[in-house]
Amino acid sequence: MAILAARQVTKRFGGLAAVSGVSFDLAEGEILGLIGPNGSGKTTLVNVVSGMLPYSGGEVLFRGRSLRGLPAHAIGRLGLSRTFQVVKPFRSLTVVQNVMVGALFGARGGARDLESARWQARQVLDFVGLSHRAEAPAEGLNVPERKRMELARALAMRPTVLFLDEVMAGLNPAEIDAAVELIKRIRDGGVSLVVIEHVMKAIRSLSDRIVVLYHGEKLIEGAPSDVLGHQAVVGAYLGRRYAEQARA
Amino acid sequence: MRRIAPALVGLAVVVLVGAAPAVLSPFLVQFLINLFMLAVLAESWNIIGGFTGYASFGNVAFFGVGAYTTGVLLTRTALPFGLALTAGGALAMLFAAVIGMPILRLKGHYFAIATLGVAETMREVVYNLEVTGAGTGLVMPISRSPLPFFYVMLGLLVAATLVNWWLSASRFGYGLVAIREDEDAAAAMGIDTARYKTVAFALSGAFAGLTGGVFAYWITFIDPDAVFRVITTIQMIIMAVFGGMGTVLGPLLGAVVLASVSELLSTQLVALAELFNGFIIILVVLFMPRGLVDVLATRPFSLRRFADNVRAYRI
Repeated sequence: MAILAARQVTKRFGGLAAVSGVSFDLAEGEILGLIGPNGSGKTTLVNVVSGMLPYSGGEVLFRGRSLRGLPAHAIGRLGLSRTFQVVKPFRSLTVVQNVMVGALFGARGGARDLESARWQARQVLDFVGLSHRAEAPAEGLNVPERKRMELARALAMRPTVLFLDEVMAGLNPAEIDAAVELIKRIRDGGVSLVVIEHVMKAIRSLSDRIVVLYHGEKLIEGAPSDVLGHQAVVGAYLGRRYAEQARA
Repeated sequence: MRRIAPALVGLAVVVLVGAAPAVLSPFLVQFLINLFMLAVLAESWNIIGGFTGYASFGNVAFFGVGAYTTGVLLTRTALPFGLALTAGGALAMLFAAVIGMPILRLKGHYFAIATLGVAETMREVVYNLEVTGAGTGLVMPISRSPLPFFYVMLGLLVAATLVNWWLSASRFGYGLVAIREDEDAAAAMGIDTARYKTVAFALSGAFAGLTGGVFAYWITFIDPDAVFRVITTIQMIIMAVFGGMGTVLGPLLGAVVLASVSELLSTQLVALAELFNGFIIILVVLFMPRGLVDVLATRPFSLRRFADNVRAYRI
């Protein structure tokens, strides 16, 4: 059974449908790639699912239970975590304190006192390879480090479903390879993931399945090799004329 | 062990200050009561403004609710002061929670303006109520000695400081700081932001209300203009900012330094004391936005540190 099931999720801003009737399933232990051109509704979809924005229609079932109408913090505590495309560090706190917040307030089974939260945060920082920066103030981190801290905070919440919103943006090829390995290890730890990414190489090697959004609608869904070569997907990214030329 | 040393120092200071009235002139005792009052107000403002990052410009409303609740009960019922004061603190806390639920949804300037409006509205309400003595005010029974006020204010100050210390070292406090730093991220990470903000506001209001209750009895006469003064809120903010917002001892330190200097100046020239407050605001915002505690705790003491502060706050 799917651990997460989106059913006809719709989000309208005034007359503009940013997300319109999107459905997909996320199986337990699966990595689902979510791709699409800029403005296709990926981040809006994550914002709706995570409770940051209200629905205009549809619903999302988490272990069969509807998340629609739940506040963001309640969804986080149920075990659905996310990162932010534009990172949102707690700037005046140190890196380890940032991660401690995740341990303190995340899903059940997390720490509820500072000592064990600090210990758990240290474990997570080790796991993502950021422990050498643990005591640095968050505002002193560079962009790749901030992305890692964002990931560490989400992991410290002990999620069962994790949405990663462009955690690889700004990384160099070596760092991307490391990130791909890291995400696979997260999955091996029992987390189901939805990964939004523009780095196609990473998406191809990570995803079990891929969902393509285009103008807020689901364009296509399937295995990476089928989806990434599909003419409609090439057209969505590069324009229809380019796709026709490529075929000719 | 790390916690025992500061606790002992704190205890020693409290005992020393508590013994002080025996050797101080009545004038200095009155000055200290006033100083404690300002320090409690600064520490209580720090809960919502410093830790939670919601700059309230209307905390004097809670001070006023406490003052008037205590005042009305003292003058119109036979309730002893202790109970009247407790009622004042409780009502101020409730008022903060009820008013907080809608206005804590606002952010930044909008929140500041809304809180300012609440305080001004409360003054008008009190002006027009029969039970509060309307524009003529309330006259309290006269207390024979200033010492009870001294010790109650000192007790409030100790309690307010302990609450701030608890915030700096607890899950609840981490939640508030996360809200201050990024409210969306805080919510996504499982923090019930609406509830946390309301509790912080209520806690802040409770201390302001208790302080107001003591103030009413101490000063023996209250009217709307004397109680709901915008400058009282401004003082809370300046003292907290000067000492260090979001730190445990900053607001206390800010109150001690600013109240002392302003008292010294006002014995020379009242206009000078007013000017001084203005200068302090400008200088602190420009050169030490993190406050006195940060400046004192950072070594080496350097100009570069000032420059970093200025850059970090994009002034």
